[in-house]
Amino acid sequence: MKKKIELIEKIEGEAWLEYEYKNDYIEHVFIKFASSRYIEDILKNRPPLDALAINPRVCGICGHAHLIATVRALEDCYDSIYIPQKALDTRELTLIFELIQNHFKWFYLTIYPLVTSQNSITKATIPSQTASEAIAILAGQYPHTSYSIVGGVVSEITPLMIRLVAQKIDRLIAIFKEYIINRDLDEFLYCNKIEEMLKKEGDLPYIMQNIVDKNWQQLGRSHDRFIVFGKSGLFKSGKSIHTRYRQHIDTKYITTFTTPNSKAKSLLYREKFYETGPLARAMLNKTPLIKEAHRRFGDSIFSRILARVCEIPQLLLYAKQITKSINFSEPSYIEPPKLPAFATGTGIVEAARGSLIHKVEIKDNLISNYTIMTPTQWNLGNGTPNNPSSAQKALKGLHKNMPTELVFKSFDVCSVCTTH
Amino acid sequence: MIFHKIYTMHSKLDILWLSALACNGNAHSFLNYKDIDLFLQEFDFVYHPLLPSKYKLTDIANFKVECDILIIEGSIEKHHKIADTYLDEVISYYANMAKVIITLGTCASFGGIFAQYSQNISGLHYRQKEKLNHYNSFYNKTITLSGCPVHPETLVGTLYMIRDDTKLPIDEYNRPLYYYGYLVHNGCSRNEYFEYKIDKHNFGEVEGCSFYEHGCQGTYTHAPCNINLWSGVNSKTRAGQPCMGCSEPNFPATNLWETKKHMGIPAKLPYKIPKRAYLSLAGVAKTFTIERFSKRIFESDEKKDRVD
Amino acid sequence: MSNIKNQRRQEIIQEALRLFASNGFHRTTIPDIAKSLNMSVGNLYNYFKSKDILAQEILRYISSYLGTKLKEINETPLSSKAKIKQIVTIYFQTAQNEPEMIDFFLRVYLANRDVFDNGCEGMLCVNEFVTEIMIFFEEGVSNKELKNQDFFSAFGLFMGYLGGMVFLNGEKLLTKELDEYIDDISQNIYNALKA
Repeated sequence: MKKKIELIEKIEGEAWLEYEYKNDYIEHVFIKFASSRYIEDILKNRPPLDALAINPRVCGICGHAHLIATVRALEDCYDSIYIPQKALDTRELTLIFELIQNHFKWFYLTIYPLVTSQNSITKATIPSQTASEAIAILAGQYPHTSYSIVGGVVSEITPLMIRLVAQKIDRLIAIFKEYIINRDLDEFLYCNKIEEMLKKEGDLPYIMQNIVDKNWQQLGRSHDRFIVFGKSGLFKSGKSIHTRYRQHIDTKYITTFTTPNSKAKSLLYREKFYETGPLARAMLNKTPLIKEAHRRFGDSIFSRILARVCEIPQLLLYAKQITKSINFSEPSYIEPPKLPAFATGTGIVEAARGSLIHKVEIKDNLISNYTIMTPTQWNLGNGTPNNPSSAQKALKGLHKNMPTELVFKSFDVCSVCTTH
Repeated sequence: MIFHKIYTMHSKLDILWLSALACNGNAHSFLNYKDIDLFLQEFDFVYHPLLPSKYKLTDIANFKVECDILIIEGSIEKHHKIADTYLDEVISYYANMAKVIITLGTCASFGGIFAQYSQNISGLHYRQKEKLNHYNSFYNKTITLSGCPVHPETLVGTLYMIRDDTKLPIDEYNRPLYYYGYLVHNGCSRNEYFEYKIDKHNFGEVEGCSFYEHGCQGTYTHAPCNINLWSGVNSKTRAGQPCMGCSEPNFPATNLWETKKHMGIPAKLPYKIPKRAYLSLAGVAKTFTIERFSKRIFESDEKKDRVD
Repeated sequence: MSNIKNQRRQEIIQEALRLFASNGFHRTTIPDIAKSLNMSVGNLYNYFKSKDILAQEILRYISSYLGTKLKEINETPLSSKAKIKQIVTIYFQTAQNEPEMIDFFLRVYLANRDVFDNGCEGMLCVNEFVTEIMIFFEEGVSNKELKNQDFFSAFGLFMGYLGGMVFLNGEKLLTKELDEYIDDISQNIYNALKA
């Protein structure tokens, strides 16, 4: 059996792919992440609230999701705690902006060059800067704010701030129409015809047409199993196998395993690998265009890329709705009682790349154990040839001349999250 | 610190951006630089962890690349490898070649969060405040830009000053005083509450200062957070989050949300303010009850709010 | 202010302190003080515009006097335990050598708040003294010699105890000389404050 080792870079770090070929077709791929930053160990024996400052630093691109997961895990340590709706709405907003900035960066810095061999840096930075500004208005700065704390948020959320944020949303909507697809957002959300999308102007039809022209639209099909743990006003939790939806899932069925050569954990649900992320969310939400893509091309790179870009208008319209419903007479923060001296808590959030789960254990007022389960550990686990992870399965069977890097990166790898 | 003009055969300076043990926070913070397109017309990345660059990481690790400026992001761990080459060899090779080295972020500068895991993890020249010897021969051409992350203007401004041969006054850690001569306190919108020693601070309010109860380190943390606002609009302390001291060598301290006090007196006082001076002024300030500070800023004196 | 004028101010303060202690604060008038100094009343008013202002000035004077002595102690490298003994000694020595000072503090300042309401609120006039006590406490905790506790719990314990002893001494209720209590009292204070 032939072997090849390839270094994949610009994935918030690096990973090694060790391909095993059979007659020029990939038989199995080992995925190895080389370094770890030991965050879970660093958190041990610290006062629990310190996690709010440390955890955003797990990741430079999705640190905000780590903050929200942390605060949810800590709030889950109480038997009951009241968080004002205004604070919950604000958290939802800042999280949405992080997702949007991730999606733009991924589309223009990762996918676009791989499909077209061209670069478009400012198309990544202009929207991501706009999203950063919106987060900074509410949360002080981006990246690495810790503005969300047990009991609410540190900022006093005023009508003035929300007006500014609403304007950033309008700016992002305009950018989306100008760069991605020249169509009204509402109209685009109800669109369920691939060809109709492809006929429009914009980088999304351009990229998707490119993929079709290269006959790549069926590449990267995986297990067709999807899982979403985080619920929000936009996302549904549950799992979906092919198109069969099950609402009930429980984090207690998550198991982890590590392989000797990689610093990354792999996550399974009832011993099976699932795909998490925008495609999974779209499958559970039954987003019309994604349902159609899935019907025609399965869980391929076509559906995966399309699902992620299609999430942007959903997020923007959802954000807009939140800005209109915020109740300014509520406080932004209500001081909670002291954290219990002994407790455990789980925090779940839908990050850009999928479900992110934090588990904290507190003993004698200190963190005794902290577990971080990231989306990349679901999608890019290191399974065996008989039980491959979603990314391994997507690569399996590809000819050596096929765009393996694109297939791999269609999951959007976050190396630093994987090996926190 | 004065750098001699960097002469190159090409018009733009070549920057090699190396990631060690990093979260990429500084790379993403840099992407927030408003005029990044103009910047990229004047500087070239031979390698950047996010942006398209001339070379691949394997080229870097095989010593095939030339650079004028070496940027290191992330903590340095002994025996860490990038693209199968020891990071130590990669750093030594390019540090030797570069005219200027920038340790970008608190991890690369002082070790940061990840250095708390093991003695084998540090910054390039420091482990917290302890000066290390391993890369000492490069110390005089290193500029320290600490922060978690560093504000994009701090990086870009420094790079232009290097290019233009601008005199760069520095502090004891080689940090440029144009940025680190400031304290996070300078320019904070909550300053009055500090000046008049109003202890009371509630999260979720525009009023109050978190120095007294909630651990704000802004008065002794060197960074221009409230001079060059984040994304041009805000800062953590303005929003209401205590400064966590992320640009200082000892970041992160423990118990970050609480002010450590000795018999009610803050254990850490504002930077280089003598205890006697601070306490005398505090005593006097506390004597007065100033009614304005007990009122909410956004509340009309009487019920005059327009509801229509 | 000229040296001569400054010296005259000091003399007025000293004399006022003496008269307040012997005749009582309320029974002592500005003309009494002027007479005792062979000054005209009008001239004395040039120095202090009212008796209240004179009282406030005296309070500052005492705070500064004790503050300076405490500062010298604070600037030594002694342990907190040794410093406690020095502070107790200074306080008792002052009570014995300048009894009118402590007397003013206990009988005038603490008993006539209305006199000090306008100009000596809070710490305004006792700042120098209190600042040194704060420094003493802060450094003791910082060196891990003293227990970290609320400032006023510690301050009240220390100053209330010393004031009480001086009061008892003034009432001639103590069976021994005040100095002879220094060791025991220092030890008691240390026991109460130590880490």
